[in-house]
Amino acid sequence: MKTAELEISPHAKLQRSKEKQNKKNLYKAVLLDSFFVFYSILVVQRAIYYKFVLDMRSLPFSWTETAIILVISLLIGSLWALSHTSLSCRLFGIAVDTKTTKWTVELFGWFLFNITFIAGWIVTKVSIVQLFSAQGLDGAGRIFGSLFQPQFGIFDDALFAMIETIYIALLATLISIPITLILSFFSARNLMKENKFTFIIYYILRLITNFVRSIEPLVWAIIFSVWVGIGPFAGMIALLVHTIASNAKLYSEAIEGIDRGPVEAISATGANKVQVVWYAVVPQIVLPFLSFTIYRWDINVRMATIIGLVGGGGIGTMLMQYQGLARWHEVGLIVIMIAVVVWIMDYISAKIREAIY
Amino acid sequence: MILEVQNLHKIYDNGTHALKGVSFKVEEGEFLVVIGLSGSGKSTLLRCINRLIEPTSGSVNFLGKDITHLKGEELRKIKTQIGIVFQHFNLINRRSVLINVLAGKLGNVGTFNSLMGKFSDEVLEEAYKSLETVGIAEKAKVRADSLSGGQQQRVAIARSLMQNPKLLLADEPVASLDPATSNSIMQYFERINKDMGTTVICNLHFLSLVRRYATRVIALKEGNIVFEGMPNDINNTWFKTIYGEEAEEVEIR
Repeated sequence: MKTAELEISPHAKLQRSKEKQNKKNLYKAVLLDSFFVFYSILVVQRAIYYKFVLDMRSLPFSWTETAIILVISLLIGSLWALSHTSLSCRLFGIAVDTKTTKWTVELFGWFLFNITFIAGWIVTKVSIVQLFSAQGLDGAGRIFGSLFQPQFGIFDDALFAMIETIYIALLATLISIPITLILSFFSARNLMKENKFTFIIYYILRLITNFVRSIEPLVWAIIFSVWVGIGPFAGMIALLVHTIASNAKLYSEAIEGIDRGPVEAISATGANKVQVVWYAVVPQIVLPFLSFTIYRWDINVRMATIIGLVGGGGIGTMLMQYQGLARWHEVGLIVIMIAVVVWIMDYISAKIREAIY
Repeated sequence: MILEVQNLHKIYDNGTHALKGVSFKVEEGEFLVVIGLSGSGKSTLLRCINRLIEPTSGSVNFLGKDITHLKGEELRKIKTQIGIVFQHFNLINRRSVLINVLAGKLGNVGTFNSLMGKFSDEVLEEAYKSLETVGIAEKAKVRADSLSGGQQQRVAIARSLMQNPKLLLADEPVASLDPATSNSIMQYFERINKDMGTTVICNLHFLSLVRRYATRVIALKEGNIVFEGMPNDINNTWFKTIYGEEAEEVEIR
């Protein structure tokens, strides 16, 4: 009997974990406060002083200067956090409740927000003058005018390109389904956490899909147009890769969100793992899967247009060609066609998703 | 003796010490009722018996065999002999009543056949028979989630009957049902216990139900057994020990 080991008072345990948590939070607060100070100094110096006040084109950069600022920030940040009156202390819930804290938090928070907004304004080169300059307005008028007088002469070509785009999206979605299905079961935490080996598979799969998903389909299209050559095939693979990665996450989250009850009940009858998944998990996820997949087709039609811009085929490529020739009447027709198709797809997919629930 | 639990401990990952050395024996044919407040460890106890939860230490003997450390195929064979009914029924909602009942046989059907939904005529006949036992054979083709709570629980009982269980566990089977339905559900358990000779271990809340159906009672409090005896032995003093000083008995008929 291991009673001694079992007799840890839960209260003491809770107390200890709380102290540990507070210590951890203090470290975090030191780091975050130092970052806030570092950020403030850099933004004020570089964006507001150099760029705006001195109106410099290229900014000087030196590692020593940055290092000195970093050290100073770390010093101020640590002192500030250790006094338990800083913004980060408040964020992590370890601040002392005094008037000083309240003032520091409010003033510094307001200061951070303002310099960020101002720096953003300067960096984006916001210019009201250019937005409303006579020359600019004239150009805008020309393009809008042409867009609203579309050239119907290329309608049949555009229609074919559009159909190509829809097929690219459809094929990418269809091929993704079986692959995503298999992947999603292996990347569902609740199914994989039971033993170490499966958990490692789960972890690696999550890592890969997260990575693939974080790269935009546009970038995938560029990669694949080098790999398999410019055209619809490159676009399809690009969409396929991204669809698999995104839907594997959505699917596996649906699996993680199922009701545990039936799983318990079926495994209590002596059913094996495959039977438990088939009888208790699958019936709960069929509808969410269907819904995600249809929605994804809708997204893919939109993405296929964008991907066409970098050589993924379909209507996007056509749009790019006419835009390059500055033939705005043709561009107008293409834009209108894209808008109509996207709107129809959106409507259909919403209706189907409504119907199956 | 069908079941012997010895010095069972369960500590959850979050540190909760749910069972603190529980020991008891169950004879064949008994209707044992486990009572106690919510959080006293009743559900944990039942789930440790059929190994839905792994006990931290101690042992569970079922039909003279130590099943505490069984794994894989052997464990599944044991599970097929122990039925369980839950408070929230735990049916597959989007499937028919019949499929739900057939699911009780999964432990004895090949993986491939069960994935294809192929069940032999004998198994199908058995499914209808267990549905008749709980009186809802006419609902066989209906979707499980279209039934009322009491009907769903009857389907759950039929599912566990498919296992021809030596031991039937019931985790607060009537806690989410109205009083009238509760009684009718308890009567099904009584009939299974008396007519088929199945041993039943049932968690219950209401003492009136306990007195009416139990042949023996165990009371849990904070993970320990504080009472073991006949249902009629639970007098007012015992009641206060089990449920606390402020508790007062309410009747359910």
